[in-house]
Amino acid sequence: MKHSNHIGGRLFIGLTFLFLYLPIFLLIIFSFNAGDSSAVWRGFSLEWYSALFQNRLIMESLYTTLLVSLLATAIATAAGTFAAIGLYSLSRRKRDALLVVNDIPMMNADIVTGVSLCLFFVAFFQGWGAFAQWFNGVQGAVELPTRLTLGFGTMLLAHVAFNIPYVILNVAPKLRQMDKNLVDAAQDLGCTWMQAFWKVILPEIKPGIVSGALIAFTMSVDDFVISYFTAGSSTSTLAMRIYSMTKKRITPEVNAVSTLLFLSVLALLVINNVREIRQEKRAERQEVREPSFFEKLSMKFNQPAYRWVRRGLAGAMACAFLVVVALLTGATSSQPVVNVCSWGEYIDEDLITQFEDETGIRVNYQTAESNEALYSLLKSGGADYDVIVPSDYMISQLMEEGMLEELDYSRIPNFEKIDPRFRNLPYDPENKYTVPYTWGTLGIIYNANMVDEEPASWGALYDDANAGNVLLINNSRDALGAALLHLGYSVNTTDEGEIREAFALVADANRRGVFQGKVMDQVFQKMEGGNAAIATYYAGDYLSMVDNQADGVDLRFVIPEEGGNWFVDAMCVLKDAPHFDEAMEWINFIASTEANLANMDYIWYASPNSEALERYPAWYEEEYGEELDPELYEIMAVPADVLERCEMYTVLPPATRSLYNDLWVQLGT
Amino acid sequence: MRNKRAWFAVPYVIWMALFVVIPILIMAVYAITTADPATNEFVLTAGNFTGMGLYLNVFLRSFWLALLATLVCLLIGYPVSYWMAKEGPRFQRVAMALIMLPMWMNFLLRTYSWMSILENNGLLNQLFRAVGLLDLLGVDHIQMIGTPGAVVLGMVYNYLPFMILPIYSVIVKLDGSLIEAARDLGADSPRVFRKVIFPLSLPGILSGVTMVFVPAVSTFAISQLLGGGTQMMLGDLIEQQFLGGAYNPHLGAAISMVMMVIVVVCMVVMNHFGEGEEQAVML
Amino acid sequence: MSKELIRLSDCVMSYGDEVVLDHINLYINDKEFLTLLGPSGCGKTTTLRIIGGFLSPTAGDVLFDGVRINHVPPHKRAVNTVFQRYALFPHLNVFENVAFGLRIPKTDGGGHKVKISEQEIHDRVMEMLETVNLKGFEKRPVSALSGGQQQRVAIARALVNRPRVLLLDEPLGALDMRLRKDMQNELKRIQQEMEITFIYVTHDQEEALAMSDTVVVMDGGRIQQIGTPEDIYNEPKNAFVADFIGESNIIDGVMRADGVVEIFNRKFQCLDKGFDKDEPVDVVIRPEDVDIVDEAAGQLKGTVTSVTFKGVHYDTIVDFYGFKWLIQTTDFCPVDSRIGIKIDPDGIHVMKKSQYSGMFGDYSSYSEEYEELDVPEPEDGEESGSREGGHEE
Repeated sequence: MKHSNHIGGRLFIGLTFLFLYLPIFLLIIFSFNAGDSSAVWRGFSLEWYSALFQNRLIMESLYTTLLVSLLATAIATAAGTFAAIGLYSLSRRKRDALLVVNDIPMMNADIVTGVSLCLFFVAFFQGWGAFAQWFNGVQGAVELPTRLTLGFGTMLLAHVAFNIPYVILNVAPKLRQMDKNLVDAAQDLGCTWMQAFWKVILPEIKPGIVSGALIAFTMSVDDFVISYFTAGSSTSTLAMRIYSMTKKRITPEVNAVSTLLFLSVLALLVINNVREIRQEKRAERQEVREPSFFEKLSMKFNQPAYRWVRRGLAGAMACAFLVVVALLTGATSSQPVVNVCSWGEYIDEDLITQFEDETGIRVNYQTAESNEALYSLLKSGGADYDVIVPSDYMISQLMEEGMLEELDYSRIPNFEKIDPRFRNLPYDPENKYTVPYTWGTLGIIYNANMVDEEPASWGALYDDANAGNVLLINNSRDALGAALLHLGYSVNTTDEGEIREAFALVADANRRGVFQGKVMDQVFQKMEGGNAAIATYYAGDYLSMVDNQADGVDLRFVIPEEGGNWFVDAMCVLKDAPHFDEAMEWINFIASTEANLANMDYIWYASPNSEALERYPAWYEEEYGEELDPELYEIMAVPADVLERCEMYTVLPPATRSLYNDLWVQLGT
Repeated sequence: MRNKRAWFAVPYVIWMALFVVIPILIMAVYAITTADPATNEFVLTAGNFTGMGLYLNVFLRSFWLALLATLVCLLIGYPVSYWMAKEGPRFQRVAMALIMLPMWMNFLLRTYSWMSILENNGLLNQLFRAVGLLDLLGVDHIQMIGTPGAVVLGMVYNYLPFMILPIYSVIVKLDGSLIEAARDLGADSPRVFRKVIFPLSLPGILSGVTMVFVPAVSTFAISQLLGGGTQMMLGDLIEQQFLGGAYNPHLGAAISMVMMVIVVVCMVVMNHFGEGEEQAVML
Repeated sequence: MSKELIRLSDCVMSYGDEVVLDHINLYINDKEFLTLLGPSGCGKTTTLRIIGGFLSPTAGDVLFDGVRINHVPPHKRAVNTVFQRYALFPHLNVFENVAFGLRIPKTDGGGHKVKISEQEIHDRVMEMLETVNLKGFEKRPVSALSGGQQQRVAIARALVNRPRVLLLDEPLGALDMRLRKDMQNELKRIQQEMEITFIYVTHDQEEALAMSDTVVVMDGGRIQQIGTPEDIYNEPKNAFVADFIGESNIIDGVMRADGVVEIFNRKFQCLDKGFDKDEPVDVVIRPEDVDIVDEAAGQLKGTVTSVTFKGVHYDTIVDFYGFKWLIQTTDFCPVDSRIGIKIDPDGIHVMKKSQYSGMFGDYSSYSEEYEELDVPEPEDGEESGSREGGHEE
């Protein structure tokens, strides 16, 4: 195969590389963008790099990614190497059978591996719970934890599980190629088997081990799907963090972190390549070479006099590794923690730091995509949250299923400041479980430059005039709710006919290609960038979109004439939450007037805290030196008469819920 | 010394049973049961499978798009591998490194970068606007995101290395004397390619096709990011049953099983006619 | 001469139903050069691996200096091995390969770990490299050596540990003809210089005859004959040994009396005695022991069917009554000529009938290539000397 290529071949290769790298270069270029757009260049800046190092959510997930990848690689490499040696001591038939099983995780779709492991862990936890309860019952000496959840440990196990086959696949050929007599020869010369392993087998199969480890590491770093299904809720890898960010708004901090990752890998590869090329040249010359500095060093270390140095160094390194791991895991376990799950971009992150500084409690802050997704997470046993912030109807459902814990209001003095309007609401009539977090309305957001007339009715969502420019909200309750309102029905109807009629309206529009897509938090990017004209979304989010809208985009918000939906998101604590005390502190902290003001300013959702609600315009003026646009304030905190027109969701009976589900899935297909 | 080290394999066997075989069995149990809403107990049912007709479109779309992506990958990947193998060793090494390199950035990042390119107001549309293409066509933008094409593009972009690596590693190891022999026997270049090089690189093609097709058919993030939620694929459907809006792990498990079986059958059929050459699987 | 060092008594090695070694009895003396000779699959390498400690016999005992060592692991035996493909450690250079065994801490009689000083290691390695003529190669990577050099590194690596016994498993198999001859002499020289026991495995009978003090011929997991090279060549015990060692014409005969054997209905004088009267026997006649004479003067008469010039002599195939003989002679006899032969009494060797009778010794399909022996699984034959313990010194 040694013919020089004609120009066409090289051109083709070049174009392919361009295809592979252009997006990455764009990613890198926009990490230096002054604005937060990933499509419009606003000048050079390093702000996103400094922001990156202050963004604890990203940094934490980066750290988790590296830790899980390194640990999984180390464990899988050791285990896989030994397994490969074991496999090669088996008879051919047994080995071949095992190698088929070995192929399963590699050949299976990631999602199948992820799902099956998730179900396995959950099943194991259930069994364990029963066992631990029985065990704790029959004896008192050892107290076993009864409640295990998905988390870092399960994710690590999953990574090890899918990495081992790759290691074996790389080590096995080296074992096969190795002269079988080498081990015999070493033993013949006085080695025990173990000595032979270290002195002969290991150096021989080292290339296989190294490439196996490398591939395992690559797979771990690149993995998203398996982590997503096995990490549960309290741990996020970088990929999972990015995934949840793509739902809302990816800040160029992600570009920055990608750039850093890319450059460090590039540097490693360059170093490695240069070294290889050098070695090759040397091999070509075939001459007796002068040992390099490192080789001299290692030769020196091989001398017996240096053995203690060597042992010491190895010991020190092992200790350091253990200490680092222990510190990193210990720091997270010994310190009081509270696990919070909220929605994306739904808190002023400074509040988290402030809370941690004040109380010394570490906040593990995670986000879910929707009430339904949160419910799935809780149901699948994947969540070990303490505090969640579901919406009204979901609260009812969770209460009905006995998944919430009663709060200790004596430890939440700030509850007093919650406006009576937002207490004892239908979802929690006696107000035993909840402390409201925000409230707001659902309406239509539109780009005035892309529509001919203001969409005063929900009908605009299904209008061919807007074909291809409507974003359907990816949430059965809201999407069908709008249709129900348009048809003049209650959003809480349980009448199957009415619901089906509403669905037909949506499905028909879908068929006609009115919808550009079904989105949740991606609505931000789409609307701000002028990529879509009309969307159903929450008033608070509209306000932050206005803040970020691109040039030539003029976003407006309207609650259509048929009326809208209003909602309350409230903080609740899950049954048997492991950190109940810390949860109370967190809730009280967030319910404070200061926190509410900060949140209101940051996320633009109205606060249920009467003081904060009242003080906000003044506070705004003080903070920014300009008056708060009353129109905007009205959108945020709608006046009573508009609120009248809006209906709150109540929990639907199971039959209706499954009807919603079935219909919704049909829409997607 | 054979059997003395056989116990090394024991932990591995236990591990594989625990983390590979049993999870799949549990998934199978979920697939053939459903949870009684009243008692939360599992009840045997075939309903998960019989009701799957509802999702026929998702199945068809997934397999169709994955097939397209695989085909495009092959059409790009084969010539690249072929021409790469003809270059000098240094070029090859650098090229290999460059192909591997993007894999170290998470695939979500790579997919995300395409979002900003394909958006209606994205870089590509801006470019088209700047060169006057949009005015020429009389449209405000060319719809790219949210189309099946964008999903295929995303898959090709992410999985192309999986096609190139195995094909390349087979071609580069082809015995040069075979080609010389073919020439010696009077074959011209196209014939050498058709009769010698291509048949001998078939194992690489087969493993490349598998390595692209399997993740492509089951992808869920790519279709969400680039398909805008309108291009629901099997992966999305499964995810919805577990961690998404529609919580029904039994249905999700059933769909996973069906997908797994179909993929396995495809692979067995393919490997059968390729005589299963496996060493190309790894680079 | 010298005392017994190793003894295998009634050693059996089997994997499931497959019997690889069938009741081997053998003793090996100190400072002896003993060769295990046989076709591939005869059990010679298995025997060697049992002595080396890589295998434990299924039944029977292995004694070293009178001590049973069946389960002593290889690293605790005063035995070192030179492996078939040398098994040099590719990641170490020549010096480190040779020094490998010396760097392993040994436990002395008192249970103390004994380590050899760097200086001593260096001296011993260099001395050994000198012995094998590899001085100046110590820094080379082993992959940069030729086959013969690698071979010598492997020998040095084994000998530097001063073993009582050196096991060599077809050590010259991978070398070309010329190098092989040189290395044969080299090995013999080293063995005599070092004064240690060599146990040598080969399928090359010439090599075995040239180097050994004692040759053990094996086939089908059994010992067929043990003896000095001369014994083995001149007095083969059965048709297998006769055929495997050198060229032989093996003819059915009948022992008519002590010193008289009948072949093709003609009586020949021979030196063999002690057979029953009229006992059917196998008669071995080496090709070089046959004299070609005029047809009229010959004890047997035949037709030349092929002649091959071999340098020193002609390989002449002669048809006697449908049975083809190989005769090595310096006289040229054209094809199709009629000739007679004469055989001296000491050119005739008579053997008892064995399971191998009738399988070898006919040159009808003569070719110069080494004939791979396709020996069927032996029946439970009690003939042949396989169960006789030991060998005469």
